[in-house]
Amino acid sequence: MALRVPVNLRKNLSVVLYAFQGLSILAVIVGLASLLLLPLDEYSRRTYISENALLPGQVHAYFGGSEQNIVRAFRREVDLLGNSTSDVVAERMAEIFRSAGLKVGKQRYSYKAAGGEYTGENVYAVLHAPRGDATEAIVLCAPWRNIDHLLNEGGVALTLALSRYFKRWSLWSKDIIFLISSDARAGPQAWVDAYHDLHGENIQSLSVKSGAIQGVVVVDYPGAYHRFESLHIIYDGINGQLPNLDLINTAVQISRDQMGLRTDLQEMWNHDDGYRHRLRTMLRGMVNQALGHSTGPHSSFIPYHIDAITLATHGDGGWHDEGSLGRTVESVFRSLNNLLEHFHQSFFFYLLMAPKRFVSIGTYLPSAMLLAVGLTLTAIRLWVDPRSRSGEVEKEEKREKEREGGNQGEVVAVDGGPKRELFLPMSIVIGVHFCGVIPFAVFNSVDHKSMSSVFYISIATSVILPTLISILITLTASPHRLLPAFHLSRCFSLLFLGMFLSTLATLNFSLSFLIGLFSLPLTFARTTPKSVPSALVNSILLQATSPFAALFAVAGYWGLGVEDILKEASFGWWVWGMWTPVVVWCVWWPAWVVGRVSVDSSFVMAAMGKGGDL
Amino acid sequence: MTLLFARSHQWLTPSPLEILSRLLGFFLVFTLSGNTVVADTYKEKLDLQPLSGQFLLASFNFQNHGPIEAFNKQMFQLFPRSLGQILQYTHTRELHLRFALGRWDSELWGAQPGDGQNAGGTGVETWAWVEADNDVEAEARWTSLNNALSGLFCASLNFIDSTRTIRPVMSFNPTGDYPTTNTSRLFLLHGSLPKEPVCTENLTPFLKLLPCKGKSGISTLLDGHKLFDASFQSMSIDVRPICSPHTGTCDIEIQQTIDMVLDISRSLQRKDSPVPRPRDQHELICDTSKPYASNEYCYPMDNSIDLPWSLSDLFGRTISGGCPFAINLPAEETQHVCIRAPENKLTTMETLELAAPTLTEGQPDLKCYMLRENVPFDLSFPKQQPPISPLRQEPLLYAERSFTGHGQEHGGVKTVLRNPNPNDPIEVVYLESLPWFMKPYLHTFKAQVLPVLAGEEDVISELYYRPALDRKRGTQLEAKLIVPPNSVVILTYDFEKAVLRYTEYPPDANRGFDVASAIITIPPQRRRSDGKKVPATSIRTTSLLLSLPTPDFSMPYNVIIFTSTIMALAFGSIFNLLVRRFVAVDEVQRVDLKGKIRGLLGKLKKGKTE
Repeated sequence: MALRVPVNLRKNLSVVLYAFQGLSILAVIVGLASLLLLPLDEYSRRTYISENALLPGQVHAYFGGSEQNIVRAFRREVDLLGNSTSDVVAERMAEIFRSAGLKVGKQRYSYKAAGGEYTGENVYAVLHAPRGDATEAIVLCAPWRNIDHLLNEGGVALTLALSRYFKRWSLWSKDIIFLISSDARAGPQAWVDAYHDLHGENIQSLSVKSGAIQGVVVVDYPGAYHRFESLHIIYDGINGQLPNLDLINTAVQISRDQMGLRTDLQEMWNHDDGYRHRLRTMLRGMVNQALGHSTGPHSSFIPYHIDAITLATHGDGGWHDEGSLGRTVESVFRSLNNLLEHFHQSFFFYLLMAPKRFVSIGTYLPSAMLLAVGLTLTAIRLWVDPRSRSGEVEKEEKREKEREGGNQGEVVAVDGGPKRELFLPMSIVIGVHFCGVIPFAVFNSVDHKSMSSVFYISIATSVILPTLISILITLTASPHRLLPAFHLSRCFSLLFLGMFLSTLATLNFSLSFLIGLFSLPLTFARTTPKSVPSALVNSILLQATSPFAALFAVAGYWGLGVEDILKEASFGWWVWGMWTPVVVWCVWWPAWVVGRVSVDSSFVMAAMGKGGDL
Repeated sequence: MTLLFARSHQWLTPSPLEILSRLLGFFLVFTLSGNTVVADTYKEKLDLQPLSGQFLLASFNFQNHGPIEAFNKQMFQLFPRSLGQILQYTHTRELHLRFALGRWDSELWGAQPGDGQNAGGTGVETWAWVEADNDVEAEARWTSLNNALSGLFCASLNFIDSTRTIRPVMSFNPTGDYPTTNTSRLFLLHGSLPKEPVCTENLTPFLKLLPCKGKSGISTLLDGHKLFDASFQSMSIDVRPICSPHTGTCDIEIQQTIDMVLDISRSLQRKDSPVPRPRDQHELICDTSKPYASNEYCYPMDNSIDLPWSLSDLFGRTISGGCPFAINLPAEETQHVCIRAPENKLTTMETLELAAPTLTEGQPDLKCYMLRENVPFDLSFPKQQPPISPLRQEPLLYAERSFTGHGQEHGGVKTVLRNPNPNDPIEVVYLESLPWFMKPYLHTFKAQVLPVLAGEEDVISELYYRPALDRKRGTQLEAKLIVPPNSVVILTYDFEKAVLRYTEYPPDANRGFDVASAIITIPPQRRRSDGKKVPATSIRTTSLLLSLPTPDFSMPYNVIIFTSTIMALAFGSIFNLLVRRFVAVDEVQRVDLKGKIRGLLGKLKKGKTE
C-alpha cells in the first residue's frame, strides 16, 4: 500500500500542497501551544543540585556581629566618594584593599560606541588562597554604580568588608578576586577581556592575575537604606547564554533555605508559583535571552564559560540587612570553594519559571523547532507547487530530455513539467541578504544624536525598498517569469530562515522563537495580483511584524525611546560582542523584505496589468 | 620594649628507660668507632626569618655526609638505607626530589631562600643523573628509580612516564663532583607531576629518612597539620657525591630541606579559635579619627603591631632537645636554631644558660641557639610595636605565567619576566615542559621587550625545542634569553588543544589538566656594572590549569541507545520491505487447514504401510 501513495500524489499534487500547508499550520500551533504548556507541573521540573561537591547551605555562615560595624563604616566611605571621578575612587579602594594585605591591581578602560565614550577604572584585589597554587579563582564583584546607575553603596562596602573577613579563613582552595568595576556594563567586560588577554587597544592589561575563574558572584546592593526584602537573582548572559543551573540553585537554596531570604527571578516580586506567574517569569526570561544584552556585571563573564550571577537586593521594607547578604555571599563562596571541577554537571540550557522550577532544553526546544519547521514546510510547499515553474517550457524540449534519458542532473523536475527559473529568485534573495549588512553597519556606526533621524530614514527606506524592488523586477523581467520568480524567492527566503532559526534555536532558543513568531505572517505573504484587498491585509500584517515594529515593541516594553534601544544595540555590538543585531539585520530583515516584495508585487502587477493567475 | 628570649627547661632526673637508651647509644658509638670506616657527619639547622606581612619563613636543613666507599659497600650508617639501595640499584649518581605546595610570593617576601635551589614547582618534581651505557638503559633505570621512589615516598612518582620526562639541555648542571665517572655516561632526566597533592603521607617517609626520625632535634617541629597549613612549603631531597679537592676522597651527601612560610596571625588565631568568627566588638581596632566613628561604625585600622609568637604557638609543640647525632660537632656547626631579625629591634636579650645565643660576625641581626639533648627548647618572639620591617632581598627576576585566550580549541601562554635591577641585564634559561596534548606553535613563540629599546629586539640567544609525539612524549622548550635592565620580557606562544581519547580522561576531566611550572634558571654570572658574582638561581612559575574539550561522559550511553533504536527501526522496516512480497488479497492462496492435515495424515499412513 505504502508504495502506491507517491504515484497517486504525483497525479494529484494539490493533496500534497494541502498536506504541507496543514502540516505547517499544525507545526506552528503545536509549537505555540507546547510553549504555553511548559509552566504546568507535568512539563516543568523542580530544580535540584547536580554537583554533589557544592553542598549548598551545609556550612554555618558566621559573617555578622562586629563585621557589620565595619560594613557600615565602609558604607560611609563609599558615600563620601559618591560623586568622585573613577580614578579617585579606584585609588581609595586600592588603599583599603592594600591595608587588608591583598594584592591590588587597577585597570583603566575606554570604549567607543554610538558616538559616546565609556571610560572608567576598575580596581581589584587578589586574595591568594593559603596553600593555593594559583590555578583557580573565584570572583566577588561589586560595580561602583549598578546597572541603573545607582551608587552601589552596600555592595561595595560589603565586598570590602568580606575581603578582610575572607582573609582570616584558611580553608580557601581557590584564589578570591574582589573586583570593584567602575560601572555595571563596560567595566566588567574590560576586566574579563583583559584577564584573558583579549582586550582592545584602549584597555589596560591587568598587572595582577590569578588562575582560571570558576565562578562569579556580583553583589548589587544600592542605596543608603540598608534593609531589604528579598534577593533578586539575575542570571542572563550576553547573547542569551546562561550560567550553569547549579550556580543559581546553590544561590536559591542558600538564600531561601539557609538564610530565610525570599528569592525573585526576572523582577517577578510576588511570585505565587501559579501558572500565570510561572509563564510570565519564563516569558520575561525569554525576552532577556532573545535580546542577548547584559543584565548586570555577571553577563560579561558568561561568554568566557565562567558561570556568574548577580545577587541584587530588592525592596526596603524587609528585615534583612548587610549581615544576611554577607552570610549568603559567604555561604555561596564556601560552596564554590568546594567545587572540584568546573561547573558542568547541571544544565546550561534551561528556562526558569520560578526560583525552584525549570524546564530543560529537551522539553522546550521543540516549540522553537516547530516554528522553524513551519517555515521550512511552507518553503517546501512553495517548491513543490507547480506555480514555481515558468509555464513557458516547450513540450518539445521536455520530450527531448526524455529521449536523452532525462537524467542529466539538471533542474528538470523528476516528475516532468516545466523548468524552474532559479536565477532571478536566487539573486533577489542573495541580494537582499547582502543588503542586510547596510542597516547593520549604519546603526553600529552612527552617532547617538543622529540615531533617531537615521532610524526614521531607515524605516522609510525599508518601507519603500520592497516596493521599489518589486517595481524594478516587474519592469525588467518577462511577464511569464514574474510570478514564479516571486514565488521561488519567497521559497528560498523561507527555507533559509527556517534553517537558520532551527540552528539558532539550539544556541539561543528565545531569539529563534521570537523571530519565528514574528515571521509567521511571512508564510501567508503571497503574491496575489488578482486580489488586491488580501494583499493589502498581508501588507499591513507584514508591516506590523517588521523588525522595526519589533524595535518599537521592545522600546515600549522597557519604556525607552527607540534610539535608546539602537544605542544599546550598538554599544552591545562594540563592547559585549552582542550578536542580536546581526541576526536581526542580516537574517530576519532580509526575510521580511523578501516577504514584502512578494506582497508588494501584487499591487505593482495589478497596477501594471501584468497580473497572472496565482 | 622588644626582646627576644629563649625558654628552656631544667635538666630533669633521667628515668631508667632513658639511662638504658643512653647506654645503648654509647655502646653503638663504641662499636662504630671500633670500625675502620669514619662515621657519618650529620648536621641540622633551623633558620627562622620574619617576612613582611606577618609571615615567618622557617627553613629546616638536614645534612649528612658519609664516605662514598662505605655507601658503595652498602654499609649505611646515618644515610637512609632504603634510599641508598634504590640509588645503587638504579645507578643514580645524583638525585633531586622536590615536593611543593602553595606559591612563593616574591612580591611580598623577596627572593626565595637558598636562591631557589631547594624549591620545586607545585606538586612533585624530580631530576636525576643516571649512569648508563645508552639512552635506553638510562630510561629503564629512570623508570625503575621512579617506581621505587614512588613506593618510598607514597607519591605517584610512578606516573612519570615518557610523556612526562624531559632531558633538559641548558637548565640543569650536576651539582656533585665526578672525578672518576665518565660524564658522557651520565644521563640527566627530569620529570614533574604538577597535580600531585603533597600531604602528610609524603612527610612521614621524609622524616623517616632522618637519623632522629622526627623524635628529637628540630624535626620534632614538623607536624603535618602545621606544615601543610603553611602558605608555602617545599620539601626537598638532594643526594650527590662531593669530593674534596685536597684529599681526593669522596663523600656522599644527602641534604633534606623543608622551607615553610607560616602566616603568623592565622596560626595564632587557629590556636585560640579554630573558626575565625567575627571578633567581639571590643576587640576591634577602629580608627577613631573618622568623623562617623561610634559604636556602630568601625573603620578598621591597619595592623600596627607584630603579634608575639613562640615556636610552640606556631608549631604546636616545642623542640624536644637536640638530635644526639647532631650535637657533638665542632662549635661553629652546632648552631641549631637561628633567627634573623633586624638588629636594632633586639635591644635586650634575656636568655637562660642552656641556650645562650651565639652571634655570627658580620651578621649582627642573626641570633643562633644550640640545642642540648633531652632539653626542650622554645623560642619566643615578643610583640613588636611599631612592627619590624623585615629584610627583604630583592629577587633577581620576577616571573609570572598565565593562559591567554579562551575556548576549547586554541589558547596561548604568556610569561612575563621582569628584571628589577636598574643597571644590569640578566641571562636566564627558560624551560617549559608541556604535556603532549598541548601543542605549541613554535612560529608564534615571540619575545617582546618593554619598554622598547633600540637594538634589544632579539633577546633570545638560543632555543632548544623538542616537539611532542602524541602519547609518547611531551614538548620540551628551552630558551636562553637576556632580560635587559629594568625592563620586562614578555614571552608568548599559541598552542592547540588536542582531543583525547575517551579513556584518556581522568575521573575529574572537567577540572582541567595541570601544566607543570616553567623553570627559570639563572646561570652563575658576573654583573656587568660591579663585577659581583650572581649565584646560580632558579625560579618556578605557578602551574597552570588547562581545560581541554571534554565530552559529556554520559553521551556514549545515549549514543548507543539511539543508534541501536535507529538500527532496529531502519533494519526492521527495510528488511521487512525487501523480504515481504506484496500481493492482492484475492491472489492469496487460501490456506486449507483440513486438507493439509489430511495430507500429513496420508503421508504418515503411507510411511507406515511402507
